[in-house]
Amino acid sequence: MKRRTLIGSAVVVALAALSLQGCAVVNGSGDDPNTLRVMMGADTTYPKERKQWQQDTAAAFKRTTGADIQWETYSSAQEELTAIQTSVISGQGPDVYAIGTTFTPTAYATGAFVEMGKKQWDAVGGKDRFDPASLGISGPSASKQIGIPLASRPFVMAVNKDLLAQAGITEMPTTWDQLTEDAKATTGDGHYGMAVAYADGFDPWKFVWGMAQNAGNTIVDGQKAEIDTKAVQDAYRTYFDWVTKDGVVDKAGIGWNNAQALAQFADGKAAFFPMTTTTAINSFKNTKVDGKYEFALLPTVPPGATERPADGIDAASILSGDNFVVADYGKKQDLSFQFVKQTTSKQAQLEYYKLFGQLPTNAAAAAELAAQEPTLKPIIDAGKLSKPTAFTGAWSDIQLSLVDVVVQSIPSLKSGEVTDDQLRKRLQDAQKDAQSTLNRQKNGGL
Amino acid sequence: MSAFTSSRTRPTATLTESITSQGGARRHKRPYDTDVTRLLPRWLLITVIAVIIAFIAVPVLYILFGSVNSDVAVARGEYFPTEFTLANYVNIWSTVALGTGLLNSILTAGAVAVASAALAVSTAYVLVRFRFLGRLTFLRGLLALQSIPGTLLLLPVFVVFSNIASATGVQIIGTRWGLFVTYLTFALPFSTWVMVTYLRGLPKELEEAARIDGASSTKILTKIVLPLSWPGIVVSAIFAFLLGWNDVLFSTIMTTPNTRTVAVVLQVLGTAQEGGAVPIYGQMMAASIVCAAPVVALYLVFQRYLVGGLTAGSVK
Amino acid sequence: MTATQTRPPAATDRPVRPHGKTPLYKKERPLWMLLPGGILMLAVIVVPLLVGVFIAMLDLDQYTLRQWFSAPFVGFANFAEAITDSPLLHSIWISASLAVLVTAVTVPIGVAAAISTQNRFPGRGLVRSIYLIPYVLPAFVVGTFFRTMLQPQGVVNAIFHTDVLWLNGSASYWALAAVMVWTSWPFVYLLSLAGLQAVDLEVHEAASLDGATWWIKLRYVIFPYLRGPLSLAVIIAILHNINNFTLPFVLFGIPLPSSVEVMPVLTYIASFQSFRFGLSAAMAICSLVIVAIPLFVYLRAVQLDTGDDARPSRGQRRLQRQQTGAAA
Repeated sequence: MKRRTLIGSAVVVALAALSLQGCAVVNGSGDDPNTLRVMMGADTTYPKERKQWQQDTAAAFKRTTGADIQWETYSSAQEELTAIQTSVISGQGPDVYAIGTTFTPTAYATGAFVEMGKKQWDAVGGKDRFDPASLGISGPSASKQIGIPLASRPFVMAVNKDLLAQAGITEMPTTWDQLTEDAKATTGDGHYGMAVAYADGFDPWKFVWGMAQNAGNTIVDGQKAEIDTKAVQDAYRTYFDWVTKDGVVDKAGIGWNNAQALAQFADGKAAFFPMTTTTAINSFKNTKVDGKYEFALLPTVPPGATERPADGIDAASILSGDNFVVADYGKKQDLSFQFVKQTTSKQAQLEYYKLFGQLPTNAAAAAELAAQEPTLKPIIDAGKLSKPTAFTGAWSDIQLSLVDVVVQSIPSLKSGEVTDDQLRKRLQDAQKDAQSTLNRQKNGGL
Repeated sequence: MSAFTSSRTRPTATLTESITSQGGARRHKRPYDTDVTRLLPRWLLITVIAVIIAFIAVPVLYILFGSVNSDVAVARGEYFPTEFTLANYVNIWSTVALGTGLLNSILTAGAVAVASAALAVSTAYVLVRFRFLGRLTFLRGLLALQSIPGTLLLLPVFVVFSNIASATGVQIIGTRWGLFVTYLTFALPFSTWVMVTYLRGLPKELEEAARIDGASSTKILTKIVLPLSWPGIVVSAIFAFLLGWNDVLFSTIMTTPNTRTVAVVLQVLGTAQEGGAVPIYGQMMAASIVCAAPVVALYLVFQRYLVGGLTAGSVK
Repeated sequence: MTATQTRPPAATDRPVRPHGKTPLYKKERPLWMLLPGGILMLAVIVVPLLVGVFIAMLDLDQYTLRQWFSAPFVGFANFAEAITDSPLLHSIWISASLAVLVTAVTVPIGVAAAISTQNRFPGRGLVRSIYLIPYVLPAFVVGTFFRTMLQPQGVVNAIFHTDVLWLNGSASYWALAAVMVWTSWPFVYLLSLAGLQAVDLEVHEAASLDGATWWIKLRYVIFPYLRGPLSLAVIIAILHNINNFTLPFVLFGIPLPSSVEVMPVLTYIASFQSFRFGLSAAMAICSLVIVAIPLFVYLRAVQLDTGDDARPSRGQRRLQRQQTGAAA
């Protein structure tokens, strides 16, 4: 009977599947002492190179230590956090993580990662092999660090050389006001001065942070939130005015995320594309802007001033990149340190740059790179002038509040104006939220 | 037995017979317009189908077009591709472990579908045909379990499984069968309820006749209820399959690179780094088409069991 | 079989088992069939749920996560904060209203789709499978491409010649509802399709003999068969839509615009952005309780749990028809 044979075959298939699964139990995630579990962000920009790098690294690792590497990946910030949480709560998981720098404070708060004392630093090759700036977000202080820097991805501006030449601009702007002026000069004729993504989940707070830092405001001062302040208000004001009053940003940017702003720049329709990194280079290939752009430092003088005030910070970028953290619950810490030592050696770091375009954190490698490739100068400078965000467990909430001010303002942006009152009210709300989060932090907020 | 199985596989024959008995004389398959079971007039049928397909098609075509376009063009918001490329369909296999993901997903989701349908039928049979203390509570409880959000259970499930692992030494997390057990359990309440609703509509006479003849419950279940409930089984199996196929939350924490399901792999294609390159939209869309295809194909095969005309004439 | 004489067997009949070793003082009830499913659900859902309730009573955040068992016990403080000091109630309102709206719109579409593919025509299998596509596509892919289509200068605004901000502001509620409708109507379609299969041939014949038009036939003969499946479909669809996390998350990102602040994203933010796991569990449990109450009211109202329809069973209806047929 037709149906009976179908049922029969379905049952057979199901049983086969189940028994196959039974066989698969053998290779579980149980702790094999000779396999190091490394968790890194998934790379879709350079997938082939990433695979090659993994194979080469694992081969070299096996030669020196005799152990294998099991590579695990996360595909988003949320997945990264989920992985950390589930590992921390159960005490089993990857041995080494490469986490984004912004997550280092959270990782620190869990207390599940090894604090790097002298012995540990020596095991990874010594603390002084690293560029001092890159250590800025390794821990709450120089003596309490968990993060070992792997790679640096500072934020810079991409600039369309042709559009700038057409407007007669010969020097890169160094103040935010000058940037606005240059953007106005390059707006018109179907192209805009700046490609900015107001609806991106990450970009907006970086602008505000940068401008505020330049004015001397670090958003978090010890245990106090400093959002409802003039510096931050001026920052938002400048940011909003670009699209409402100055008209240097395409009105569609109100709904864009970073990829769409990039697309506009890649089309040659925008002169400046702030808040990008060298990982975007791949997206510029074979587009209208290929060969016609260069990178420049973001401005470091706050809006409304021509010189940085005395307490202003010359933060050209957020300290951005990846840190290695070694799990405390794991039993393979020695293996982990050897892995870190291998990947942060000068040669490995130069290789990493060649494959993925991310700057080395190894000081010697960085120096050699600066000598070899002068076109990288703005990026390397940005790396040197990177400043860390406040090292507190409350940071991701605070970041969310900063972005929320923009999200709540988008309807007003669409209708043409964000009034000072509206802005003030949102800043006060953000201040309240940020302060309550800070108050809730334990251990003195690190 | 033979009376109704033949009616299940060849409803038109039965239809022919019954019409013949009333005077009509047709031996071939009836055209749509004079089919006694038809529900809509032809003009309305065509309109409804056209409208629904248009409703579906516009966004789905966007995915199709996006999969042959360049990533930057998709980011720009283009609908019709200006730069036509089939490279995405080739690249997806090497950019991520899509092949492994598909295999794992087919194994896991397929096993979940079969097991869930089997368990659902037997559980629903007991719940519908027999009375016992706690029956209503069980039914209501099943429905209540459906309302639990997945995020609430995420960390606790992980905790429970890792504690079982450290207590008994049996690794659950990271194995295919651990994922299978989890999905099976999540799919059960709803599958059971689908079968409950369906079984309520089946006439009891056949089962009662069999019981009078001395058949045990198991026999009744397998020989009478099961063949009659194919539509319900197909539907509940589809839902269980889709649960295992599309779930992201639990599969990300419960799989290793070897046991990854296709949903997790697809997530990787949606990766975007802050301030980095454009996400690889083209490959993401190509991969989602490749991922949707097996499910649609499976449904295409099994939907023929969603036929009507139960037990016509068999009770007489 | 002389149908008019036999009464349907009552529940207390005792079948005679030829080899009866165990004295059956009750009807044979294979309650053991409940065991496998029951054990699984107990172990994998109920126990973690209890753990979740326990977590909700702890002050569990990233600091105490490591030794979670010894995190400070705060009793109902998390619940109090969830209800009074967070946007939870607002978000439950948004989630629930969205779910009800979306389900209400998907029911006619799903039923129409099921009815349209009930009868055989060339290409029916293909049409049935195409109908399934929106439901099969992974939610985050749907979210991603709808997000691009809903941009201020995207396809949607181009087609309808509007200039609405769909992804923020007040229109975002309707945008989310529309996308949820697009992706979830096949659910109702599938359940209705199963239900339609239960309609007997004789019912169709009787209706055609009576000369019923298609609408009359649909309304009075066919739709009653859909009552059971649709009651189930409605409640499950509402629950799924209330707990739908991925779609709003991908469409709008976080933080959410205030008009689409849905409950699952809120609990997610509490858990994965603010790392307040205790609070997040408390929020989820509160929403569970708040949603369960109307759920049980609904269950009693449509008698879904007991399944006691006022209509006679089909066997009895057939009896009646035969009797009237014989009498005529």
